[in-house]
Amino acid sequence: MSATPTPEAVESREPLPPPSSPPAETTPPRRTSRFRPAQLIPFIPALVPAALIVAVIAELVVSTGFTNFGLSFWGPDWLPSPSVGTPTFGILVFITGSFLTAIPALLLAMAIGLGIAIASTSYLPRWITRFLDPFVDLLAGIPSIVYGIWGYLLVAPFFGTVINPVIYRYFSFVPGFGGKAPLAEGVGLPVAIFILTLMALPITTLLIRDSLRAVPRDLWEAGLGLGATRWETTRKVAIPYGLRGIVSAGFLGFGRAFGETVMVAMVLNVVPAFPINFYSGTSTMAAEMFTQLDSAHGNGQFLAALSEMALVLLAISLVVNIVGRRLVSHFAVYEVPGL
Amino acid sequence: MNALTSSGNGGPVLSAQHLTIQSKQKKILDDLSLDFPAASLTAVVGPSGCGKTTFIRSLNRMVELTPGLSIRGSVIYLGQDIYDPSVNPVMVRRRIGMVFQRPTVFPTTVFENAAFGLRLVHEDIETIEKSVEEALQRSGLWEEVKDDLDRPALSLSGGQQQRLCIARALAIKPRVLLLDEPTSALDPAATQRVEATMQRLKEDFVLVLVTHNVGQAARVSDKVAFLHSGHLIEVGPTADILERPREALTQQFITGRFQ
Amino acid sequence: MASASVAAPAETGKDLLFDASARTRWRLGFDRVAGWLLPVLFLVAIVPILDLVYYIASQALPTLSWAVLTNTNPHDPYALGVPIISTVYVMLWATAVAVALGLFGGVATAEFLSERAAGWMRMSANLLVGTPSVVIGYFGYFALVLGLGWGYSFIAGATTLAFFMTPYIFRVTDLAYSSIPRPIREAALGSGARPYQYILKVAAPIALPQILNGVFLAVAIGVGETAPIVLTSTHSVLVPQTLYSPVSFLTAEIWLNFSQPPGQALALAFQAAFVVLVVVVALNIVVRIISARYQKRLEGLYQ
Repeated sequence: MSATPTPEAVESREPLPPPSSPPAETTPPRRTSRFRPAQLIPFIPALVPAALIVAVIAELVVSTGFTNFGLSFWGPDWLPSPSVGTPTFGILVFITGSFLTAIPALLLAMAIGLGIAIASTSYLPRWITRFLDPFVDLLAGIPSIVYGIWGYLLVAPFFGTVINPVIYRYFSFVPGFGGKAPLAEGVGLPVAIFILTLMALPITTLLIRDSLRAVPRDLWEAGLGLGATRWETTRKVAIPYGLRGIVSAGFLGFGRAFGETVMVAMVLNVVPAFPINFYSGTSTMAAEMFTQLDSAHGNGQFLAALSEMALVLLAISLVVNIVGRRLVSHFAVYEVPGL
Repeated sequence: MNALTSSGNGGPVLSAQHLTIQSKQKKILDDLSLDFPAASLTAVVGPSGCGKTTFIRSLNRMVELTPGLSIRGSVIYLGQDIYDPSVNPVMVRRRIGMVFQRPTVFPTTVFENAAFGLRLVHEDIETIEKSVEEALQRSGLWEEVKDDLDRPALSLSGGQQQRLCIARALAIKPRVLLLDEPTSALDPAATQRVEATMQRLKEDFVLVLVTHNVGQAARVSDKVAFLHSGHLIEVGPTADILERPREALTQQFITGRFQ
Repeated sequence: MASASVAAPAETGKDLLFDASARTRWRLGFDRVAGWLLPVLFLVAIVPILDLVYYIASQALPTLSWAVLTNTNPHDPYALGVPIISTVYVMLWATAVAVALGLFGGVATAEFLSERAAGWMRMSANLLVGTPSVVIGYFGYFALVLGLGWGYSFIAGATTLAFFMTPYIFRVTDLAYSSIPRPIREAALGSGARPYQYILKVAAPIALPQILNGVFLAVAIGVGETAPIVLTSTHSVLVPQTLYSPVSFLTAEIWLNFSQPPGQALALAFQAAFVVLVVVVALNIVVRIISARYQKRLEGLYQ
């Protein structure tokens, strides 16, 4: 299923000599070989990914024009083209919106992912999981725009006419769940969180499944041999053993939900304001950047503000991804988009 | 021998009856019957591939964790067939403990390893501490670890880890302890200590030891069962089997013409 | 403890194996319930997938026909032919650029870099994969549309998409070359093969299926991506005539039309969504099959 080189194969390989040097056999030992710039040529392509990252960061930094928006950049007011007064660019709404959608989605995706991974590793026989596991993988392959059109036209009205009214009716006493009645169209936070959960689910499930499968068979058997149930063995032996992988799943799943763009732009009912209650719309950094670039075209200050927001989004994504990838030395899954 | 009525004193504590285990390709065990009386250590010996590991794993239903095996026959534990559909394998494994070839300590402290099985049934901490101490004493590890029960179990030597595994199995107070080549990963000195532990334990427990080492069987066992390609070739008191085997195959194995 | 219990008479296996204490009943019951409930969670993945596929298909198929798929009439704003052909052109360009960058990068990383340096490059590729697509789109906009003055164009859109696809191809190539068994590598180099001979003649045939697989995966990801191209190109009713023409793209058509009232525009969005979905799901399935086969082959090489 996944192409995993054995660790030995990956760990200790001698790098090849640069191709411009003759094969080792025919070379007399020349310690004084002079450095030739041509020797560097084969190394250059290897720099592609690092160069791309650096280029992205540099370009965004340059695009900000080093505009200093001061403290108001972290403030709540986003007025790019006000009818009166000067424009204000505060991104607090979007930072809040990004976390407000990504964190609940992540918690759900972790809980469900953990459940699916445990079912798949501890409870279900192989012939059943062989049939069920691909569904989770497939969830990762669906393009976000397809999630978006499905979410906007089918899932959102379902939330708007069935789920949100029920929650509104019975839980309106809970702060944040009362107030303005939910829209019948249903676009808003709940749908966005629901679909973000689906989009983060394959990442969390696969990484948790991998870390549970990596628990040595000996340890599983030791737990079961002591008269622990499958559940107890999973909880007390396998999960502690695979904890780093599980935490890593949390970080990478969060990264996925946090950076999701098009689907959120379609189903969140994007407005640059804090949500007034559970059912309302708001905006995220990614969705705002995506929908506003067009309006900002040609407007230097607006573009500068968007670039700075892009840098904030990128910085958070990078940190989350670095931490998530550092936790696990070797990923077995490569065939899944976004992982 | 009628194992169904043999609960209480006298009869065997554990008894395999007409046990046949098959994989898709071949029979691993063929109609094997064997009794394990109280306060005894039975060594199951045989060349590699003879089915002895499958056999010992079938005595507490660990064998069911290997997919694709069909199991027929019964294993009677104090009058109750452990393969009866109404019996939960979890309960079987609490009564019939197991120690594996390689030490399989959990990556936590010595104390938590020994307390693993006890914690599951939620006993209060004093009971757990008392049982852990008792179990560690029985396994002969107490003197070495009593000053620092909170050290990581993985910092122990291989032999100590294996005795910790024995203590861990003993802590839940089983009647029967299955030992699947417990010294195969240990050096001679550590092996000696584990063997000493087994000698002591057989006073109070039914021990079943799988080993490929005839010398070990001679040193610790009361009874030897010789298996060859899924069949029980012969069984009897250790001295009889090792010194005066009746079967040619046994003779060959003891004199080292196998493996 | 145990000594006492062995000596005690009359304890039967039934008593011991059917412990009726509340704690035991709870433990066993919990395990059994978990065994029933946890697999039900698979429905959280299965139901939405089936629902989504069914919904898109049921909305698109009634209006979809061969004539619609091949309608390239520039005067028909709801023709699907132009977006399909444009998407093929964009993907050809993007894949070519991504393969050029990713393939050479992956080989060089696997073969020429020290383990430490390669680790840095792998981390960079992983970070690129984790970079939100909107950020890549912004990079394309600032660097290509504005910076290089390419404007909203085919070349800007397709190249931006290529940047998005590159790390996937890079990673797979690197993995494919790194996982070639050492004995094969040492035998080739030991018998006097030059590095490029090893890379092209010995390693390439082994690594190729997996690299191809990575290309398929990257194409599946690229064809479903929206942000990089929407931010760097604009809609067109024509198949691009030059590199600097605006260009249409299937996902961009969905983005433009998904919120229209029911009618031809919305129908176009669903048709485009259906085509994208079919392509992406088909590619994903192909990727899994090749991957499984390759894995077997690789295991064969190790024996």
